[in-house]
Amino acid sequence: MNETLITLERVSKVYRVGEENFTALNDVSMAVGEGAFMSFVGPSGSGKTTLLNLIGGLDRPTTGEVFFNGASLGNMGRSQLAAYRRENIGFIFQTFNLLPVYSVYENILFPLILNGRKESCVRERVESMVAKVGLTEHISKKPAQLSGGQCQRVAIARALVKDPLLILADEPTANLDSENSLQILELMRELNREYKAAVIFSTHDEKVTRYIRREVRLEDGKVSWDKRRDGAEIET
Amino acid sequence: MIGFWFRGLFRDKSRFIFPFTVVAVGVALVISLVGFMEGVFMGMIDMTASFDSGHLRLVNRLYYEEEHLRPMDRALTNQREIRDWLTKHSAPNMDWSPRIRWAAILDVPDEQGETRSQTPVVGMAMDLKSPRSNEIRRLRLKSSLIAGTFPKGSNEMLMGIQLAEVLDVAVGESVTLIGQSFDGGLVTDNYQIAGLVRFGVAAMDKKMVLIDLADAQNTFYMENMVTDWLGYFPPSAGFDYYEEVKKSMNTKLADWVRASPQDWAGDDFPIVLSIRDQQNFGAIMDKFWIVKKFVVGIFIFLMILVLWNAGILNGIHRYGEMGLRLAFGESHWKLIFNLAIEGLITGIFGAAAGAVFGMGFTLFLQEVGINMGDNFAQSGVMINDVVRARLTAGAVVQGIVPGVFASVAGTLVASLAIFKRSEANLFRELEAG
Repeated sequence: MNETLITLERVSKVYRVGEENFTALNDVSMAVGEGAFMSFVGPSGSGKTTLLNLIGGLDRPTTGEVFFNGASLGNMGRSQLAAYRRENIGFIFQTFNLLPVYSVYENILFPLILNGRKESCVRERVESMVAKVGLTEHISKKPAQLSGGQCQRVAIARALVKDPLLILADEPTANLDSENSLQILELMRELNREYKAAVIFSTHDEKVTRYIRREVRLEDGKVSWDKRRDGAEIET
Repeated sequence: MIGFWFRGLFRDKSRFIFPFTVVAVGVALVISLVGFMEGVFMGMIDMTASFDSGHLRLVNRLYYEEEHLRPMDRALTNQREIRDWLTKHSAPNMDWSPRIRWAAILDVPDEQGETRSQTPVVGMAMDLKSPRSNEIRRLRLKSSLIAGTFPKGSNEMLMGIQLAEVLDVAVGESVTLIGQSFDGGLVTDNYQIAGLVRFGVAAMDKKMVLIDLADAQNTFYMENMVTDWLGYFPPSAGFDYYEEVKKSMNTKLADWVRASPQDWAGDDFPIVLSIRDQQNFGAIMDKFWIVKKFVVGIFIFLMILVLWNAGILNGIHRYGEMGLRLAFGESHWKLIFNLAIEGLITGIFGAAAGAVFGMGFTLFLQEVGINMGDNFAQSGVMINDVVRARLTAGAVVQGIVPGVFASVAGTLVASLAIFKRSEANLFRELEAG
């Protein structure tokens, strides 16, 4: 049994929209183990992205607690949360969000630079990461010169290069065709096995669910289904 | 880390070229404008100081109070003692120039000795003949002399070029000076025109005559007397120093007057005036500095305004990058700090380019100048017809410092929008964008 990496305890998130309160998450509790490969599934507005934001320390819950390796994110200040993200979390986005003026190499280098690493010390690591995602021949190209699938490979390499404990991938296949989606999912599964970083997707892409080992279905801000691929329900 | 962001800064033309251009243009304009204003104003001060007021001026208070009447009986005697006192009690490296201000009528006789032409003139007597005199250099007479030579013999004069045209005289001709002696009597004396001078100041070209001090003392019966002592500091001395020396000298003068030279009249009381005390120059200077600060201030404000807007547009253009940087764990403070450094570098590059252009243009205006003689012809202002800019270290600093400041300030003001937003908001905008 893997150690617990993330614990959510009765987490709710309420947004003020004009005069109304909108409940994005309602009393969600769950645990995510180290090296997990799982997804939050559900329709738009079900709370998937809100949940990723709370786990990623980008937002704070209205009530409840989020723990990372036993430490409460609620007790962390702004700069501590920044350090938490910098050291532990990799992000992958639907729209890739690569920096357009930087090359493939520099985009992958970017999180290491934020971590205060010197380029000369991490050059080999970045180049091996580029090779892992199969982009060695494109290493000097800018994002505008790459296909969508190649851009997402760069984003994956960028998320993994700093050896995070957790990768949050928000709809990573939504902007890709079927073939590229499958290649990306295959690549992520391989890298999850190799690097042991937990990966949490948010998606409503059915293809994703074929690859993941655990599926958490969200409806109206509540967990309606939390199952492993083998069909076993997970108690929270 | 900074190097990594600079790579992006220089590659992304939209976030470098526009702020760079704004700073460069702003700095070039400020340097040129300040250089031109200082050139015109300092040119006027230099011209006034050289011919009329000195940086400091020792004069009998009674003469000064009725200066417009040229009361030569209030001139100061004991020339040698006064020079010794000035040398001892003023600042080191000061050069004191004895002068006699006079006014007279110049009469040009025809072959029969009848008046051919005649006009009132203003004159200044100074040491034009002695080899150790600095007057010819100080008044730039070598470059102003357009015909003839400097006075060498006795009773020779230099005449303004337009005055010579009015009187219809040429070098070598004789004129009769009709004036008032030290004690109020009528004096006449013949002078030969040694040279014609274009002073470059319309009022002087039309009315001014220069004669040697010894000749003037002889003509006006003012042996061992002068109306003024004009003192000149080295160029490095500032206006504040003028005031400091003036104050110290006036204090010492009071002691000297109590044991004054025996040829002085009982009511003679010399005073020291700075250029600020004369012809309302103090008020003019103060207003000039205010106007200059105002102009520089407006330029800085406009630069900040434009750079602020550029920063906001740039910020919107870079929301994705900002959201990403925050999501990946760069702290708000670090992000703002890096943006400020970007602004600083853009400002430094822009200011450097602006300084090169501004200095080049100011140097051009300094060497070539703008001829405004037609505008000044009727004004009587003591300013050179060709107004020139003056490139000073001060003007360059006044351009560069605000340029760099505006770049950083504009970036920081624009960054407030990022600073106030939460990570989640920026992240949402990042996703939407």
